[in-house]
Amino acid sequence: MKYGIRVMPKKDVLDSQGRAVKQVLERGGFSLSECKVGRYVEIESEKNKDELLKMADYVLFNPLIEDIEVFEVEA
Amino acid sequence: MSRKIGVVRFLGTNCDADVYRAVDSTNGLEAHWLWYEDHFNINDYDGLVLPGGFSYGDYLRSGALAAKTTVMDDVEAFAKQGGPVLGICNGFQVLTERGLLPGALVKNKELSFIDRWVTLKSESKNSLWSLNEKECRIPIAHGDGCFYVTNSELETLRSKDQVWLTYKDNPNGSVGDIAGVLNEDKNVAALMPHPERAMSTWMGSQHGKEFFEKLLVNKDI
Amino acid sequence: MESKNLVEKLKHYGLSKNEYDYALKLLKKENLTDIEWALFSSLWSEHCSYKSSKTFLRKLYNTSDRIVSEEGENAGVVDLGEGERIAFKMESHNHPSFIEPFQGAATGVGGILRDIFTMGARPIALANYLCFGESGSNRLSELVSGVVSGISFYGNCVGVPNVTGKTKFHSSYNKNNLVNAFALGYYGKEDKIISSKIKIPGNLLVYVGAKTGRDGVHGASMASESFDKDSESKRPTIQIGDPFYEKCLIESCLEVMKSGLVEAVQDMGAAGLTSSSFEMSYGGGLGLELDLSKVPLRDQTLTPEEILLSESQERMLLTCKAENLDKIEMVFKKWGLDAVCVGHVRKEPEILLLWKGDTLCKIDPNLIVGKAPEYNHEFETKMFIENDQVESSTDLLGYFHSVHGASKEWVYDQYDQRVGASTLLDCSEQIGAVVLPESKRSVGIALGCRQKLMSLNPFFGGADAFLHPALALSSKGYEPWAVTDCLNFGNPLRPEVMGDFASSLKGLSLACESFKSPIISGNVSLFNETEGENICPTPSVGVVGLNTQKVLDDYEPVRSSFQNVGSEVYLLSCRDFIWSGAFLENIQGSGDLEFKKVNEFSKILIEIARSKKSSLLSSRVVGSMGLMGSLFKMSSKNIGFDLDVEIDDERLFSESLYEVVLEFKNSPDLDIPEDFGFVYLGQTKEGGELKYSESIIDVERLKKESKDSWNKKVGV
Repeated sequence: MKYGIRVMPKKDVLDSQGRAVKQVLERGGFSLSECKVGRYVEIESEKNKDELLKMADYVLFNPLIEDIEVFEVEA
Repeated sequence: MSRKIGVVRFLGTNCDADVYRAVDSTNGLEAHWLWYEDHFNINDYDGLVLPGGFSYGDYLRSGALAAKTTVMDDVEAFAKQGGPVLGICNGFQVLTERGLLPGALVKNKELSFIDRWVTLKSESKNSLWSLNEKECRIPIAHGDGCFYVTNSELETLRSKDQVWLTYKDNPNGSVGDIAGVLNEDKNVAALMPHPERAMSTWMGSQHGKEFFEKLLVNKDI
Repeated sequence: MESKNLVEKLKHYGLSKNEYDYALKLLKKENLTDIEWALFSSLWSEHCSYKSSKTFLRKLYNTSDRIVSEEGENAGVVDLGEGERIAFKMESHNHPSFIEPFQGAATGVGGILRDIFTMGARPIALANYLCFGESGSNRLSELVSGVVSGISFYGNCVGVPNVTGKTKFHSSYNKNNLVNAFALGYYGKEDKIISSKIKIPGNLLVYVGAKTGRDGVHGASMASESFDKDSESKRPTIQIGDPFYEKCLIESCLEVMKSGLVEAVQDMGAAGLTSSSFEMSYGGGLGLELDLSKVPLRDQTLTPEEILLSESQERMLLTCKAENLDKIEMVFKKWGLDAVCVGHVRKEPEILLLWKGDTLCKIDPNLIVGKAPEYNHEFETKMFIENDQVESSTDLLGYFHSVHGASKEWVYDQYDQRVGASTLLDCSEQIGAVVLPESKRSVGIALGCRQKLMSLNPFFGGADAFLHPALALSSKGYEPWAVTDCLNFGNPLRPEVMGDFASSLKGLSLACESFKSPIISGNVSLFNETEGENICPTPSVGVVGLNTQKVLDDYEPVRSSFQNVGSEVYLLSCRDFIWSGAFLENIQGSGDLEFKKVNEFSKILIEIARSKKSSLLSSRVVGSMGLMGSLFKMSSKNIGFDLDVEIDDERLFSESLYEVVLEFKNSPDLDIPEDFGFVYLGQTKEGGELKYSESIIDVERLKKESKDSWNKKVGV
């Protein structure tokens, strides 16, 4: 099974990358109200989703500042 | 009359003042600021330098955000017209992101930032940027300094004499030990090491001087 | 009877019952509003009020004609002559760095930089003093790599070179690491020192920099507590540092300062808007009206209390004349930052907090800041145990393979040491040094505080925290000019902790006084206690020295390792106090320390280092593993050394206060007073061999092993 793991900055935590990217997009004439920059990881494994959450918890994200979402990706 | 050299500042650029001083202290050169939001008249300048140092905090990809700024439209026009452009460190990243130089700069092999003195070998033979010194000692200071091109592109760079400088002892995993490259027309050059930090004995080396002196060479060579 | 409600509130806001009663008495009220709770909680925290340490800090040596800053500013400023001045300070960020090492260390660097440029000085150098648990301790590799990459991330991006540092390991830091960041800023002839004290009624109050988020609410009161198992749940939203924003903030602030557009500036550090507004107001003896609903927010759901306590990074408060507001807004806009008028300066010394048209609170800042509680905790001092005989370990290889002696190259390789193109001496040297832009003279920076000596005797330890770096500076030609300290200690309610605090401060202060080097700034971090264990007393010290020699193109500074083959090497010593303990066990010492004599020693060193005649090439103050340790550090794969004279092991491997190895280009013709020893040791030679009595050390090999040992022992 192929899993996608999306890691995004937590709601209350400052996303300095998103802020800088938003600024440049706006100066480029684009209109947007929010921009967040995160990370995407793909993992292929026979394990179930719970095990994937354990992997994520082990190293893929920092729960103090980030949220994650694990989902199955079509092969 | 002194040659007028534009030194480009983006938000976050932090080697701007150092490069400005290095240019201005070179006999025959006169440094002028160029601000990222403003246009400039390309006919007013004899050369441009894009300094190093974390434009836009290196966010998204190093150099990617700066490459989209107003001033880069004119930098591109100046380069297309054949004017000499020198990119240093982050300036190198901006030039590759803008498509004015081949390749891309990715995270160092060991992943962490490296501040170290390195020895560079001069490779390119027939351009205004070719160095007189065969080897020079200059410090590096970067996190995303690993130069990447595909093997076939590397062959092309070599065959067209676009490999400007290589590392004697590759610190960051760059393909072909490449520390600096040229565009096909040989007027745009960039390197990861910082020549402005090697301008006098007390800094540890004077080899950086020649890089700025190259801006004195006739651009029609 | 106290209601359960009150007990819970006291716990939540970190106030004692006595402090609560005192606050009621000051305000002449029956109870506190939520806003008042929040204000007292943060401003009376140890972190903001220095309530346990103030009585000791007042005794520190800090009178000197050199000092040109007023008391109560963000950092101290000293005059260097020729129109140049420098501001510097060292500050701790210990607790946040233990919770989230990367962001904790990064925001520590951001905070200390703001203390400097708030005053109008351009930051030109950084340094750091780090302490971690012993090899093999829990989370060691995570903490070390997190802290180092956090410092590297922030300092490199903001563009201020990191020129020196210390990294120490000791079991008492296993659950309580220390991150002390030092920053130094520069004023040229035309630059004005900017005060944080408001002085002109009617001026506008302007908020600049990043928007306010929920970051670190209650961070200041957290920094003033011991860690316990609940710390996890009490954790506030982690503060995120953005060095890119800070860089833009530095440039825009310095621009409005240089253009004379601002009156007073204060950064928002611990306890954010609360402490900055109250300090500005209290300092100037005037009031402020502050409309919290005008503060730019990242998240519109923030409550007024959260806005007051938020520790979002990269923000400042400034005051200006009404007619300058437009120009200020333009400068900040150019750098992509907000500048918003949030109130004005009032003649009446009262702070008025507004929220959507209502008055939330009206309070005299003197009642909170000026009348903050002050404690005289009990203390007991340790007696010094003297040994007749000092036994030293001769295990040179073992030391350089241990975490204490292992090469720290892995750490400083990650710091940009040369941005600014003014670095004269980098992290590979015993001190850091940068060239001053206008006069081309240079300032040196050295950090001190040695755990080994501190645990032997806190008075000597405190003195040595200044003397060791002061001599390292002297031996390179830098006159120790002024001092900053960062006092990291355990729980102040423990008499032995306060005893160490009192003794080490006394030692530090007397040593500084003997050198006429005033302590111009500092910071106190108490409650470095986890689950009942206190850290080793750690008053880390930053000493800044001035070398009046002009750094012209061909200038060659005195370095810290052998420079030439065939040069003559000498040992200059004071050596009144001998001790050993490279491995931190069985630490022994014997003798006494006379500050006046050490000062004389320093003057001789400065004269030698600056003299053209004998031309000193390199120097090193002897440290761990004594003379042999230093000779090894000075040797390299190209230049080695044969010890030519018979010296017994005790003399070779013990440490002493103090001695210095000197490498001269030409035979020195020096007139050294009889009080001091001056011994010829031998000549440097080609090739990387270090020879003494019957032993030969392959320098390159041991250096390589020492570098690898770091990775193994630290686990990075």
